[in-house]
Amino acid sequence: MRLRPDVSVVVIAYNDARRLPRAVASSLAQSLGGVETVIVDDASTDGTGEIADRLAAAHPGRVRAVRLPSNSGGCGRPRNAGIEASAGRYLMFLDSDDLLDRHACLNLLAAAEDTGADLVSGRCDRIFLDVPEGAKGRVRPWYSWLYRRSAVYGSLSENPRLLYDTLSTNKAYRRGFLDEHGLRFVERLHYEDLLFTAEAYLAAERTALIPPRVYNWFVQERTPTPSISNRRAEPANFADRLEIHRRIDMMFALRGAHDLRRAKDVKFINHDLGLYLRELRDRDPGRRERFLDLAAAYLAELDPCAFELARPLPAIAAYLIREGDHEGALAAAGYRPDERPELRARLVERDGRVFWGAGRPRGRLGRRILDVTGLGFHVRPLRELRPANTVTRLEMRGDRVLMAGHVLNPLDRIPPDAELAGTLEFRDRRRRSRRARARATVRHEGDRLAWRSQFAPAERIRPVGFVDPVWDVRLRIRVDGEDVVTRPGEGRGSPPLSGVALPVRPRLTRLAADRLRSYVTEGGHLAFALEAAGPWGRLAGAAARCAARSPAGRLARRGARSLGEAVRGRLTARETKIAVFNRVLSRLPVRPGLVVFESHLGRDYSDNPKYIYRELRRTGRPVTAVWSYASSPEGFPGDATLVRRGSWAYFLALARAQFWIDNQGYPDGLRKRPETTYVQTWHGSAFKLMGLDRPRLKSGPAADRARLRRMAERYDCFLVRSRHDAETLCRGLGVRAELLPSGYPRNDPLVNGVDGDPEPAAEAAALRASLGLADGRRAVLYAPTFATGPGGRPVGLLDPPVDPERFARELGERYVLLVRPHYLCRANVPPGARAVMRDVGAVPDVTPLLLLADALITDHSSIMFDFALLDRPIVLHLPDGRDLTTGYFDLERHGPGPITRTEDELVAALAGLDAAEAVHAARRRAFAARFGEHDRGTAARTVVDRHFPAARPSHRGKRNGRTA
Amino acid sequence: MAAPREVFIVCNNADEMGGLQRWAHHMARLLAGRGDRVTLVGITRGPEPYHHGRDGSYAVEVLHREWRAPAMAWRPAKPLEHLNAVARGRELWRSAAQRRGAARLSELFAAAGPGAVVIVAQVWAMEWVRLADTSGLRVVAMSHESYKATRMSSRYRRVREHYADADRMLVLTAEDADAWARDGMTNVDHIPNALHVTPTVHPTLDLPVVACVGRLSQEKGMDLMLEVWERVSAAHPGWRLHVYGGGPDEEELRAQAAGISGSVEFRGVVADVEEALVEASIFALPSRAEGFPMSVLEAMAYGLPTVAFDCAPGVRVLIEDGRDGVLVPPGDTAAFAAALERLIVDRDLRRALGAAARASVLRFHPDAVLARWDRLFDLFHRGLDHRDLHHRDLHHRGPPPAVPERPAAPALEPRAGREAEPALGGDSF
Repeated sequence: MRLRPDVSVVVIAYNDARRLPRAVASSLAQSLGGVETVIVDDASTDGTGEIADRLAAAHPGRVRAVRLPSNSGGCGRPRNAGIEASAGRYLMFLDSDDLLDRHACLNLLAAAEDTGADLVSGRCDRIFLDVPEGAKGRVRPWYSWLYRRSAVYGSLSENPRLLYDTLSTNKAYRRGFLDEHGLRFVERLHYEDLLFTAEAYLAAERTALIPPRVYNWFVQERTPTPSISNRRAEPANFADRLEIHRRIDMMFALRGAHDLRRAKDVKFINHDLGLYLRELRDRDPGRRERFLDLAAAYLAELDPCAFELARPLPAIAAYLIREGDHEGALAAAGYRPDERPELRARLVERDGRVFWGAGRPRGRLGRRILDVTGLGFHVRPLRELRPANTVTRLEMRGDRVLMAGHVLNPLDRIPPDAELAGTLEFRDRRRRSRRARARATVRHEGDRLAWRSQFAPAERIRPVGFVDPVWDVRLRIRVDGEDVVTRPGEGRGSPPLSGVALPVRPRLTRLAADRLRSYVTEGGHLAFALEAAGPWGRLAGAAARCAARSPAGRLARRGARSLGEAVRGRLTARETKIAVFNRVLSRLPVRPGLVVFESHLGRDYSDNPKYIYRELRRTGRPVTAVWSYASSPEGFPGDATLVRRGSWAYFLALARAQFWIDNQGYPDGLRKRPETTYVQTWHGSAFKLMGLDRPRLKSGPAADRARLRRMAERYDCFLVRSRHDAETLCRGLGVRAELLPSGYPRNDPLVNGVDGDPEPAAEAAALRASLGLADGRRAVLYAPTFATGPGGRPVGLLDPPVDPERFARELGERYVLLVRPHYLCRANVPPGARAVMRDVGAVPDVTPLLLLADALITDHSSIMFDFALLDRPIVLHLPDGRDLTTGYFDLERHGPGPITRTEDELVAALAGLDAAEAVHAARRRAFAARFGEHDRGTAARTVVDRHFPAARPSHRGKRNGRTA
Repeated sequence: MAAPREVFIVCNNADEMGGLQRWAHHMARLLAGRGDRVTLVGITRGPEPYHHGRDGSYAVEVLHREWRAPAMAWRPAKPLEHLNAVARGRELWRSAAQRRGAARLSELFAAAGPGAVVIVAQVWAMEWVRLADTSGLRVVAMSHESYKATRMSSRYRRVREHYADADRMLVLTAEDADAWARDGMTNVDHIPNALHVTPTVHPTLDLPVVACVGRLSQEKGMDLMLEVWERVSAAHPGWRLHVYGGGPDEEELRAQAAGISGSVEFRGVVADVEEALVEASIFALPSRAEGFPMSVLEAMAYGLPTVAFDCAPGVRVLIEDGRDGVLVPPGDTAAFAAALERLIVDRDLRRALGAAARASVLRFHPDAVLARWDRLFDLFHRGLDHRDLHHRDLHHRGPPPAVPERPAAPALEPRAGREAEPALGGDSF
């Protein structure tokens, strides 16, 4: 007698004779022995049934075929029939167009038996057949975060997020479990999986999850007959999904599982709704309305809590559908923060908060849901906002094309008096560097920017032909020197954008093509296809395509492309530059007096190098100064040569320099020649463990430690502020250079005051004026280090330490808070807080800020060591256990001021700042004396005297010390 | 007890003094001890053969007396490298030699008949097994280190390539198995190594000694241990640190230890860990990377409390922080020193953790581990009709050998003295 199989795989098929054998083969090839395969043919008309019979005949005892008498139109009835016809102790489902992983049955069975689970689920990979093999995005795991580790759950409420994975196919079910609970698929409705899995999750006494992939789901989006799950264009399909959701709601309600129902509703908002909304853009308006009405009716039934628990943008989309604002809803559904989204909605500022949508938010729920202040639209750089660009005109006038449109101006971030210049860019999608430009006029028009361009395409755009079939369009707007790149596309008020032909003359004669025909991409943007209109051109195009597709052509194309990329990559690679630096450039003669300055890897003109540079200039030393900048030369001194960090000019300057002066590090791998003197000023005393003292470096690979050692070995001179620096910082970094006990040049103005030196005084005054701090209130600087979020990455937005409303109410009359985030993050000061808070993240140099601040709030940032020199109050604000970081000393015992842990304590400390001076002043002075031992206001002079002695006519106060 | 099986264990070499080889011989003894017919196959001979307590209960085979061809296959990275005739020639030589070895392996496999299980312990050895005829056999490929360690080494690509087709890929912990599964290896499963010592005496936990056993190399972090000891010995001058093992960094470490008031003793390689562990009161594992640290397993079996950096899933599986040992964040030497000092001053804590360790280590008792292997073998033979197997047996190419070929006397007599076996060697793949 035949043994009862461990696992039965039910393969359902409908008119899929081509792929059925492949699916069955994946079931037959299972590494687990004795898997039973049951094929259920849903009354196909293309011979699928015969194929199934043949497969059954070829594998007697292993494959069975069942043929339904009439077509059911869904997956429910065939699967139910398969359950009845199979014998296995565990059941799995497979669709005829998909594949099981070779070890799927073994893995699921082993997990089921080991854990005693009724239901075991493994990862499902979606494979997008439209994406070429090996390309990014071809394989996308389905809710992979659920499957990161093996897990066993006693009930659904232990992890309601299981409800995100509603596929029935990547799971194995114990037959007894299905039978005991009468679990079967619902028939005559699509999305039967959703209800079935929800019921199964709810009924299962134990659910196990395993990380290995068990199921390959093949997705073909560009096909005339999409699979059921991808036929989202039909309203009936959506109605089915809503009906299924209502039944699930009912089921949860009957069991009194309201929490689970809410979790499911949140999933509906986060997942299901978005799927449809994102595709709605390109549907005709009538259909779109029908969809949205269906959705609105269902959303009205949901518990309002679900909106608040969902992710912000899907919640906005759902809420606005309920409220009838369809434009705003679609814009929110299309805005996916991790995918470089385009901002298509208007934003409004009300009561100091930023809200999504043009209208005023109504009610408490509306205000809570639509509040997008936390997304930082009001503080992020313009270029990151990517405002939508709607084309309103696209037409040929004679041989000139007229294009016009408008760009959103969210929150009036582009001020009316800004200097605007526009360029329309056409670029080859295959090679971005191939582009054509045309001028565009841009001006303010109400709450948006209107643009217009008219040019002769035949003169402006010269495609090559054949190799550049698709051209994208961008409108680059220069706003006061900052570039905002927008993508013109379809929107409300657009004429039909497809089919406008721009005559062009390709470089490969007109046989290659003679016009760019416009079309709208899937993302709703305008693009052009290069094509030939004339018969000869078409013939040539067909011939070229044929040649390109031939094996030889393909090989040649690939070879040419990879060769080009390799050569370009090799020539511009950092490794190449460093190798040339070491072997060639550093053999050139040194230029006496050439000094290369760099501050924070070229980020700005600031810190110690800035003050040494100024001292050199002030005393008229005959030096040639070069400053390196990372991204923009803005703000760097005009009387120095500026080179971009990493450019050939940069490496050449470094190779020939007599001095390197920086505060962080020049590129790793550069061998400093002995003739060059490297003055490493560093950028702060240390509280947190540094360099080799950091656990991460200690436990990491030896290569990281070697790298640090290589960096430190290049130093010839290292500035220290105290013995503490020598014992902690220098030891941690492994500095073996001369330690110059000069103190920090950037701190000279703090010690000397600004009276003696007009330059910092002017800087501070200008800063004070630009921040509007002339109303007699005291300025409190909030400057913490970055906080790390989950995953160890720095948190992107820094919130003020005190709720702005509360700050305004309790402290606003006396203080203005200057929020200075670590350079890795950005301050999120809500617009309503402008009266009492200022974002000073963009101020390049911190010294003037310290000069004008009357008090400092920080955590364990090294800024406290500098600010202490001013002898003004310092509060250490260490919420949520940030002081758990081990440092070089005990902050509580030796810190420069009181420690606060909560918002209340901080507010109290600020309110009683003067009263507390009696307690903290002495302690702060001791702190300043200990850590600013050598800061006497002569640091810049000491450094300059030490290294540039020759040109000084009078020899005064030269302190040339060496400390161990 | 399952029916006796044919089992092959294939390693790069079966006779070097290393942790992997010790595992292989222990595993072979365990399986043979309950009736399985075990053949231990080394692809080549080790440079300095060692007996590993061979007792004749299992066969030992070597495919190549000497492997002179390049160790690694030639993989030209750039088009121009394809023209390198010398490399091409060496590759031809290598593959010819490899095919000869694989043919020998096929013979061994054929003699066993269907249903046999081939356990491949290292990825280099897997190259031969893939070339050999394994039809009707089940192939288990093992990785004896953590996912992270493999990921950072050149082995990663070879594991992906050579282990993908194995019937099962085994790693040491569930966490590593999950990591491999996320990475697309769907055949992955995990079985820990079995405890291979049976303590006869236990330490009293009264002697002022901290023991540290491991190769003196970068990844075992002995430099961090000395850094820690510098802090500890200042406050507890009576305590001593015993370092067992040898390795490339010995000179450097001795120099580093010279600064620490003579309380560090380098005791070299020991054959018998018992001696080392019995006279200690605390065990320290300062490793930067680990797979499934057998030294901790041993220390726990002897009832020693362990302090370790939380550097790998294998360490977390063995030690539950605060219950049967102490885990500190990787590289945090201050925390490591603090943990040691806590144990140094608190004898009761040492006893409590030590007792818990002795109890918890029973999870890795050979019986428990063998049960997991049986479960794996059972999954392999699920649904295969016994009749079916029998039927195939009749048509087998030759009679299965009734008794596995006994090996000749061990290549070398066990060397006398303590230096014979390292307590733990790094797994060389």
